[in-house]
Amino acid sequence: MSEPSGDYAALEVVDLHKSFGEVEVIRGVSLSAHKGDVISILGASGSGKSTFLRCINLLEIPTAGDVFVAGEQIRMKTSKTGRYEPEDIHQVERLRARLGMVFQSFNLWSHMTVIENVIEAPVHVLKIPKAEAIEQAEALLQKVGILERKDYYPAQLSGGQMQRVAIARGLAMNPEVMLFDEPTSALDPELVGEVLKVMRDLADEGRTMLVVTHEMGFARDVSSEVVFLHEGKVEEQGQPQQMFNNPNSDRFRQFLSRTMQ
Amino acid sequence: MGDSIIQFLETWSPIDIVLIAQNFDRFLWGALTTLQLTAMSLIIGGLLAIPLAIIRAGNNPFLNAPVWAFTYLFRGTPLLVQTYLIYYGLGQFEWIRETFLWGPVLSQAWYCALIAFSLNTAAYSAELLRGSIVNTSQGEVEAAKACGFSNWMRLRRIILPSAFRRALPAYSNEVIFMLHGSVVASTITIQDLLGVGRWLNGRYYLAYEGFITAAVLYFIIVLLVSRGFRLWEKHWLAHLYPQEAVKTKPKKGLASFRI
Repeated sequence: MSEPSGDYAALEVVDLHKSFGEVEVIRGVSLSAHKGDVISILGASGSGKSTFLRCINLLEIPTAGDVFVAGEQIRMKTSKTGRYEPEDIHQVERLRARLGMVFQSFNLWSHMTVIENVIEAPVHVLKIPKAEAIEQAEALLQKVGILERKDYYPAQLSGGQMQRVAIARGLAMNPEVMLFDEPTSALDPELVGEVLKVMRDLADEGRTMLVVTHEMGFARDVSSEVVFLHEGKVEEQGQPQQMFNNPNSDRFRQFLSRTMQ
Repeated sequence: MGDSIIQFLETWSPIDIVLIAQNFDRFLWGALTTLQLTAMSLIIGGLLAIPLAIIRAGNNPFLNAPVWAFTYLFRGTPLLVQTYLIYYGLGQFEWIRETFLWGPVLSQAWYCALIAFSLNTAAYSAELLRGSIVNTSQGEVEAAKACGFSNWMRLRRIILPSAFRRALPAYSNEVIFMLHGSVVASTITIQDLLGVGRWLNGRYYLAYEGFITAAVLYFIIVLLVSRGFRLWEKHWLAHLYPQEAVKTKPKKGLASFRI
């Protein structure tokens, strides 16, 4: 077991690979996020960026590679049948709880009200007393601007409202890193702004974030680093200003010209 | 006045209302037996159905196969046959007659009916709930995974509460079928609601008074049961109704809106 050393990244991914059958979708991607970093992951559809994000908290099991959360390695082993898999599912569950995730399709628990969605994991995973969790949840709902709907069910909200609730649900775990998987892709255009604003506020207050997105404005103006994936590999990586003004690789240049009309 | 009404009924009414009224307490006792038998079967069968449904929804072949066989056996054969096999069939085996269960349980018609009904409703409810579990939104399950829920907690906090709610409308049908199915009890000497009707017809050589009275009482019970489920659904399925219909979470089972 690797103990966290003194100086570690909030999240470190080393040489991650993922295949679906014969098709290798992620072909050796490494990345490290330090506290306060906002990393945007860009790429055309099919470039593997969502899969990469889902491998970090093991919603997809990678075929090779290592993930460290706040210096602690997620221990993996190769099973008798030759499959790469987590050695200890309890460790995975514990580390997942330290990574907040926001999905493209919100995935709120439909049978729970807004406030119940936000307190569910703190109460049942982190074992925080319910009264305390409610107080904290109300503060978070206030922050994402949806406190007045706390007793509504998800089906009674707009997409933008649901996504803001989902962000509050992620924040309620007080995670090391927030993972955003195309958080605005399922929204009507007029609702994208309210979600991006919340994400901007989070970046401003120093949250560590990994954002898979198609929002070029967000990637350029908010993130501290941009990673461009192409066919499962990092094609280009760097400061947003530099990358957007002077792309090094042809592929990223093409990508920009296609998406920034 | 009272006498003249009775005289009128005795002379002109096509059905013998006076006779029904005189025996009405027996019908109420019969209804009570029916309700007891149905309710007990639903409780026992329902409790059995939950683990069976979880097994059927899972992918462990060693557990899945026997449960599959059980549910297909009990859904594939008539309830009447199942009840006869338990009531008449088990007594044919000497070793069963020698077990301690024979005297207090297996030789009693009421318990035989209870066993048959419970297993029958368990099979139907298990398949119903299995469908509901399997159809749980994968996204919601993933969200729970991402929050660090263990397998067991996902089942207990997310999958089952959601599946139970979605199964509720279909389950109200199962309750009504079970209520009607419980008439089978009257064929193995139990004086349930239909049993009393049959007794009345036999005792007074009547053609249909007993059946009509039983039918009316069954109808009233079903009416009450489905009203109850309606209120229940409005409470537990409030999250499925669109924005315009509900503005706040409904309190208790009371309807704060109409469909």
